[in-house]
Amino acid sequence: MQDALHAALLPQGLHDLLPPDAGHEAVIVERALASITAHGYERVKPPLVEYEAGLLAGVGAADRDRIFRLLDPVTQRTMAVRADLTPQIARIAAVRLAHAPRPLRLAYTGEVLRVVGDQLRPERQFRQVGCELIGSLEPTADAEIIALAAETALGIGITGLTVDLALPTLVPALLEAHGITGAARAELETALDRRDASVLAARGDEVGRMLADLVNLAGPVDSALKQFASLALPASAEPDRARLFAVVAQLRGRVPAVPLTIDPVERRGFEFQTGLSFTLFARGVRGELGRGGRYRVAASNEPAVGVTLFSDSLLRALPPPARTLRVFVPVGGDAAKLREQGWITVAALGPVDDARAEAKRLGCTHVWIDAAVSEIA
Amino acid sequence: MTPPPNLARGDLIVLAVPKGRILDELRPLLRAVGIEPEAAFDDDESRQLRFKTNLPSLEIIRVRSFDVATFVAFGAAQLGVAGNDVLMEFDYGDLYAPLDLGIGACRLSVAEPSDLSQSDDPSRWSHVRVATKYPNITRKHFAARGVTAECVKLNGAIELAPSLGLCQRIVDLVSSGRTLKDNNMVEVERIADVTSRLIVNRTALKTRPEEIGGWVERFREATARNA
Repeated sequence: MQDALHAALLPQGLHDLLPPDAGHEAVIVERALASITAHGYERVKPPLVEYEAGLLAGVGAADRDRIFRLLDPVTQRTMAVRADLTPQIARIAAVRLAHAPRPLRLAYTGEVLRVVGDQLRPERQFRQVGCELIGSLEPTADAEIIALAAETALGIGITGLTVDLALPTLVPALLEAHGITGAARAELETALDRRDASVLAARGDEVGRMLADLVNLAGPVDSALKQFASLALPASAEPDRARLFAVVAQLRGRVPAVPLTIDPVERRGFEFQTGLSFTLFARGVRGELGRGGRYRVAASNEPAVGVTLFSDSLLRALPPPARTLRVFVPVGGDAAKLREQGWITVAALGPVDDARAEAKRLGCTHVWIDAAVSEIA
Repeated sequence: MTPPPNLARGDLIVLAVPKGRILDELRPLLRAVGIEPEAAFDDDESRQLRFKTNLPSLEIIRVRSFDVATFVAFGAAQLGVAGNDVLMEFDYGDLYAPLDLGIGACRLSVAEPSDLSQSDDPSRWSHVRVATKYPNITRKHFAARGVTAECVKLNGAIELAPSLGLCQRIVDLVSSGRTLKDNNMVEVERIADVTSRLIVNRTALKTRPEEIGGWVERFREATARNA
């Protein structure tokens, strides 16, 4: 028998946002979008639910185990609730906006839903804000997206920001060049994910040494790039390295104050990216603020690069919002005029004995008394 | 407790270490990297959980070995010392284990009562009941050969379970093998060799690469000297 549910109990990973957090989130999302659209990215709005196959195409394959599926009673086809917006934006770019001029710059925000949260970030529903730049392979496109992501994060007040650059296609290229597959590959990947250079070095062969070097060089951009430049990589990995150097050089010009780190073996969550990828971190904040990178649009095979910021992480990383100034206006006060002056007004619905006490009870910071706004002590 | 006044929030580094056996082996390593905890740290009677060191920017917390991984994964501690048994059990994505400290060596094994091991034919199993602290590793280990493991999660005294009929098999750490022998059990299969690792929180390493990377380097040098 099931225990009776408390009327307010929500499923794991789903929350109510209350004042002032709900308002704070909305403000953050608006500011992030304003920063993105100021760079020429135009809003699109895909639906919350679509056919499963569309959501899982291309880079959406990463969502295979985290989408909620439901049966469309009309068509008897499987639909799914999006777990990310990027696959939807890619679909829109490839099909509905196939004839729009390239490079195509699209911005979005929307709620996503996931079957499970992860251990560190248990939220199953949260809001994503992001942008995609479709139709260019130029390193300038990567640099534009990364710089825009960093500027946006700084613009909403994030402090201690770091951008970590990864090359998720590098390790697969190395392993393929050395013919490593199956269980041996899985073992190496586990060691790489734990950054355990000793297991790699213990192999005693060339690929082991190279992977250990890659693990050990991770860190601040200057020293990492110096070591990375001198590594002898197979030819198939050269384009990745060239892109990384080109993008770093541009980022130094665009966002000189943002610390960059390099982690060439980072691959978790980047399994379906097709090149340079990145993660935004903030000092002292658990988990990631956002992530992005290169991918191919499934329906058109166009090159694309994008970034997604996570509203729940951003909220965690920011100080609580400043106190909102609200003025209580008793019957007869000119609330409209106060709003014109920029006040938030809370109108009395009837006569009150003590306007000051009533204002305080309703959480107002000010009260309209004797034809003037007066602060409540 | 608040950080020392000269430190801004987020500048403190917390090192999580496990209670018990491993701590004795870790102690010389701490000295070698230049960490001297306050006196209460070496006092087994002390109820204190959080310890200052000779370094104003570094504190040590002493917690259960499983909790070391949790504290570090969630960023409550930036550095930690945990066995790879704990890392295998939890598989936290936000944890790196860049260094094998070469201490706390033991193994994670399947054991069963001696008399059972005479007659047992593992190839006929479809289902086993196992008492363990490591349900995830155990399930994965048996699943890999097509056997469903029903795990009874215990937090200690695992070796008692078979003699009292709770189950027939256990998965637990074995170092000398004496506890098994005392309980009339034998080790039948080794799942993994275990040593203690230096573990690092991912966000801390990314956002404070010089400091955290510096500690990893110091521990690496000290471990190399030890070897």
